[in-house]
Amino acid sequence: MVQEKVRFQPFSSEPIRLVDEQGHWVAPFEHGLPPELLQRFYRDMLAARLLDEKLVILIRTGKTSFIAPHAGHEAAQVGIAHALRKGHDWLFPYYRDMGLVLALGVPLVEIFGQTLGNAADPAKGRQMPSHPGSKALNVFTVCSAIASHIPPATGAALSMKLRRTGQVAVCTFGDGATSEGDWHAGINFAAVGRAPAVFVCENNRYAISVNISKQTASENIAIKAQAYGMPGYYVDGLDVLASYFVMQEAIERARAGQGPSLVELVVHRFGAHSSADDDSRYRSREELAAERQQDPLLRYQRFLEQQGLWDAQWANELRLEISKALEAALQEALQAGEPDPLEMFDDVYAARPWHLEEQRRLVAEELQS
Amino acid sequence: MPTMTLIQAINTALDEEMKRDERVMLLGEDVGKRGGVFLATEGLQQKYGPDRVMDTPLSEAAIIGAAVGLAAHGMRPVAEIQFADYVFPGIDQLFSQAAKLRYRSGGQFSAPMVVRMPTGGGVKGGHHHSQSPEAHFAHTAGLKVIVVSTPYDAKGLLKAAIRNDDPVVFMEPKRLYRAVKEEVPADDFLLPIGKAAVRREGRDITLVSYGGPMVETLKAAEEMVAAGLDPEVIDLRTVMPWDKETVLASVAKTGRLLMISEAPRTASIASEVTATVSEELFDQLLAPPLRVTGFDTPYPLAQDKLYMPTVTRILAAAKRLLDY
Repeated sequence: MVQEKVRFQPFSSEPIRLVDEQGHWVAPFEHGLPPELLQRFYRDMLAARLLDEKLVILIRTGKTSFIAPHAGHEAAQVGIAHALRKGHDWLFPYYRDMGLVLALGVPLVEIFGQTLGNAADPAKGRQMPSHPGSKALNVFTVCSAIASHIPPATGAALSMKLRRTGQVAVCTFGDGATSEGDWHAGINFAAVGRAPAVFVCENNRYAISVNISKQTASENIAIKAQAYGMPGYYVDGLDVLASYFVMQEAIERARAGQGPSLVELVVHRFGAHSSADDDSRYRSREELAAERQQDPLLRYQRFLEQQGLWDAQWANELRLEISKALEAALQEALQAGEPDPLEMFDDVYAARPWHLEEQRRLVAEELQS
Repeated sequence: MPTMTLIQAINTALDEEMKRDERVMLLGEDVGKRGGVFLATEGLQQKYGPDRVMDTPLSEAAIIGAAVGLAAHGMRPVAEIQFADYVFPGIDQLFSQAAKLRYRSGGQFSAPMVVRMPTGGGVKGGHHHSQSPEAHFAHTAGLKVIVVSTPYDAKGLLKAAIRNDDPVVFMEPKRLYRAVKEEVPADDFLLPIGKAAVRREGRDITLVSYGGPMVETLKAAEEMVAAGLDPEVIDLRTVMPWDKETVLASVAKTGRLLMISEAPRTASIASEVTATVSEELFDQLLAPPLRVTGFDTPYPLAQDKLYMPTVTRILAAAKRLLDY
């Protein structure tokens, strides 16, 4: 394992980067990864990008009410997903993590079901789109309230430590979350309790329209870890291999009982904050165009080309295969139908109390009339 | 059968549940070495160790939020909030996470946890040590809310809350911690959440209360009995979900409801109970249901006793009902 030989430097002044813009491997160690895994990263990044494009179509055609685009975050999200032990470790994601949950193995049908809010959603259509969750894969259900999942991630990690399960809790969030009290409360407690947790900021430098300069006066996000007594890694999140290796080190450090870390993955948000947002009101087209030149997929494509692992025909076949899978899953999800309306009264409590029975009866009668 | 104060009953319940189930753990500010500022957790860290009786950073958001994650991952956490008034920095965790986790995940995840907190006035605690915020919790779908008034109930209901699969807010009137004593069975017993207790049977008027003001309510009932009246007295014990069946059966019998609570009046548990009785028993009522409550002001230190329902106000309201 490479991470046994390599220790990344916390609190670096430049973002940790292993592959440069031209796709050159620039790290002082060999990556040592098998070709299949390197190609798998590309496949998952492409799948995340194509999923994003599909979600944009769903919003434009009125089939869903909301999306939070994740294009620009693919390298960070795929790096995180592959550093986790899937189905063993827990992920506490936020609403811009559709590419991450896809790479982690959440079925596309469930992702589309959640997006459509219909019966294909394992959460029964309770939340707005971009709020996935999967008990089967230990993916905690996303909550809209910013940073509110951070103390629960700490609690789960403390439980993992107390019960000696060998698991790690990985918790993602945007840069805006770092301004919330819950962020500080959760991260501080995790550090004090030496909880096996990794806190990951996917920093795209915008909280809706608010630039990072209004979010923090710190030099970067990673440096905040210093105050809590844990390492903070400042990472180029457009570099999938940097994201993967740093995350792997932080996760294995947590698993070994050495406590939590903070990882900042600097990314771009190519879309608006959400389908309800118009980002032309607050950022220039020039800025966006310049960011798009730094597409993480393109950089990784160049790297793979140099490794002899990428050619246009392979990529086209991959694109076709993923597109077909996306379309098939979407069609399956579209056919799932609406959730049973009376399910509205389920899962408030383990068993329905009298007042919910009364309210359920009222709706049942209305539906029958 | 041992005689216990309310705080001893709580300590006993925690001890028994921790002994019974190794998933049960306590966390909060000062709960460990200190044993809690009111000594509810006294001696438990020595017995079960610092992992299961965990002193936490001074952060209600961290305490309640971590309890959510601990519970979702399989533990049975009992979080202590030092005073109910201090729950507000942790409200996002209680409302957005604990209360909603089961629902928003479609039943995939849940947070079986208890949040204990001393509540109410009467100890010269001033504004931020005297409030009764139960209506906030009761208004939040997904939470169960218990407010105890006796040592027996405290033991039986706290044990039931710990074994319950939903997040439960467990409120302990701090002025009763050492003011009431009674025999509490030493054996393992549970009381049903959502079931009221009829403290006195009667035919003339129904007095419904819970928590701290049960003291004044029972005193007022005694005075009414001395005056030749026959009041029925109900202790709700659980305010969400509250025991509508017991209250309606009583008011159907007496025709008169007086609801007593020390929380502010507007949008309160008292409002809910009186409104429900009006809706369901309108044609059987002999008088409009009345409320004696705390006031819609912040809690005033200097008027500590006057803010809470007094026996005088309870009797005056009862007279209005009986004379109607």
